[in-house]
Amino acid sequence: MTDVVAMSGLSKVFNPGRANQVDALLEIDLKVSAGTFVSLIGPSGCGKSTLLRVIADLTPPTGGTLSVNGKPAAQARADQDYGMAFQAAGLFDWRKVVRNVELPLELRRMGKAERRTRALAMLELVKLPDFAEHYPWELSGGMQQRVAIARALAADPPLLLMDEPFGALDEMTREHMQAELTRICAATQKTVVFVTHSIPEAVYLSDRVVVMSPRPGRIVKVVDVDLGARTDDMREQPQFFKKVTEVREALRGIGAGAPRGVDDR
Amino acid sequence: MSRRLRQLIAPGAWGVLVLLTWEGFVRWRKIKLFLLPPPSRIWRELRENRSGILHVTSNTGTNALIGLVLGVIAGVVMALVAQRFVALRDAITPLSAALNTMPIVAIGPIFYNLFGTTSAIPRRAVVAIVVFFPIFLNVVNGLTQTEATHEELLRSYAASDASVLWKLRMPNALPFLMTGLKLAASLAVIAAIVVEYFGGLQNGLGSRVTSAMKSSATARGWAYIAGACALGIGFYSVVTAVERVAMPWRRRRSD
Ligand SMILES: Nc1ncnc2c1ncn2[C@@H]1O[C@H](COP(=O)(O)OP(=O)(O)OP(=O)(O)O)[C@@H](O)[C@H]1O
Ligand SMILES: [Mg+2]
Repeated sequence: MTDVVAMSGLSKVFNPGRANQVDALLEIDLKVSAGTFVSLIGPSGCGKSTLLRVIADLTPPTGGTLSVNGKPAAQARADQDYGMAFQAAGLFDWRKVVRNVELPLELRRMGKAERRTRALAMLELVKLPDFAEHYPWELSGGMQQRVAIARALAADPPLLLMDEPFGALDEMTREHMQAELTRICAATQKTVVFVTHSIPEAVYLSDRVVVMSPRPGRIVKVVDVDLGARTDDMREQPQFFKKVTEVREALRGIGAGAPRGVDDR
Repeated sequence: MSRRLRQLIAPGAWGVLVLLTWEGFVRWRKIKLFLLPPPSRIWRELRENRSGILHVTSNTGTNALIGLVLGVIAGVVMALVAQRFVALRDAITPLSAALNTMPIVAIGPIFYNLFGTTSAIPRRAVVAIVVFFPIFLNVVNGLTQTEATHEELLRSYAASDASVLWKLRMPNALPFLMTGLKLAASLAVIAAIVVEYFGGLQNGLGSRVTSAMKSSATARGWAYIAGACALGIGFYSVVTAVERVAMPWRRRRSD
């Protein structure tokens, strides 16, 4: 299988050589093969978002090698090889829902009729077809997040980069969104790198859970999750709990469970 | 009852209350006519001299309108230029904030000297200058104060600078432009009137108010002032209507 994301020895230092230098990432080796779902989990400030932003070519790495979709990250960004979703939905207030989903297609210079059809199909996928002509403020937080996911999927990129997209949702909505996301990813064969703070979420969604430690951010453990098809029942199965425990213990090992004196947020 | 109607009733009721109090106060304290005429007297003046007041009001209104349009265009264009060149923006923005407080008494005479007192240009130019600053400063803010997530999103799509300007900065600046426009609309009317105090053609509200007051025809002066108020309200209403049309996403749920 081909690797959609491949990095080796990847490092990121903010403000090198200055008093406020931060070693955000140190010697990260990570391969994400096509069609797999990988979650990044770790204590606040361990560099999860930074890692995602490096893959997205929104900030340059300071060392190591990185290829995205088989090319340099900058080229992958230029080719719109990935779609990104952030913790905040980040919809444009002044655009109706459907026009928000059309945004990446507009930037690809797709024709008007074609991109409308495509955007409506995406809204169908996230189960919001009735809200196409609404403005974002008329939608709940969870619905806005679904629109953001539709937007990330619109241009049909092979790779999805998601940074705590469900962070602000209540538990029930969150589980619902997780089920939707697995359904969508299964249907569209996406490769996903997903940042989260929730252990059950990581286990439920992923083929692999990557546990990171802070300062400098590095990978301490990779937990393979092989639970088969995701259903709501699965959340109550012993195999599920076993994986949750495995991830939790990996996090404990780095002292993430204990309160820390310094928090960067 | 519709929202629009309710929005009209409240200020209307307050207006009537103020006028009644005014009328009562003037009669009760027997205030001299040349000091403060009662609304009833001003109303009579308005009716008797209707066509004259209308004519003068439209002269000043035209100056204010032309100056406003020119000032808004200049402000928006300069803001677009300034957001493109950071060095220029950093130089120009504090400068305009300082110039913003420049009084009309200072710039009026300069323009009368430049274009002559028989031309309409000086008055319009002064209005345009007064209007320029709030528009420029607000639009620069709107173009530059975009949300970080929005910027990153467009960057993740490898959007060109032109796309970022067109799809993010400009729509983001629209509410700021409207705030500036509301300020500018009132300022335009005030400037168009006040600039007439310092010379130039004598066919506008400002000069008529001064000459009426000088000859102790206070009620006539107040009739002209009523014309000025009408202009102010008119300008403001038009801007509010423009706002509703330009930013449909700002319309809140109707309850
Ligand atoms: N632009 C920046 N400049 C300087 N330091 C930064 C910058 N962005 C992140 N950092 C630092 O890099 C480290 C990792 O930050 P990052 O945002 O990747 O953490 P995170 O794992 O996503 O945390 P959280 O779970 O709280 O979102 C932190 O110590 C942070 O202070
Ligand atoms: Mg983060």
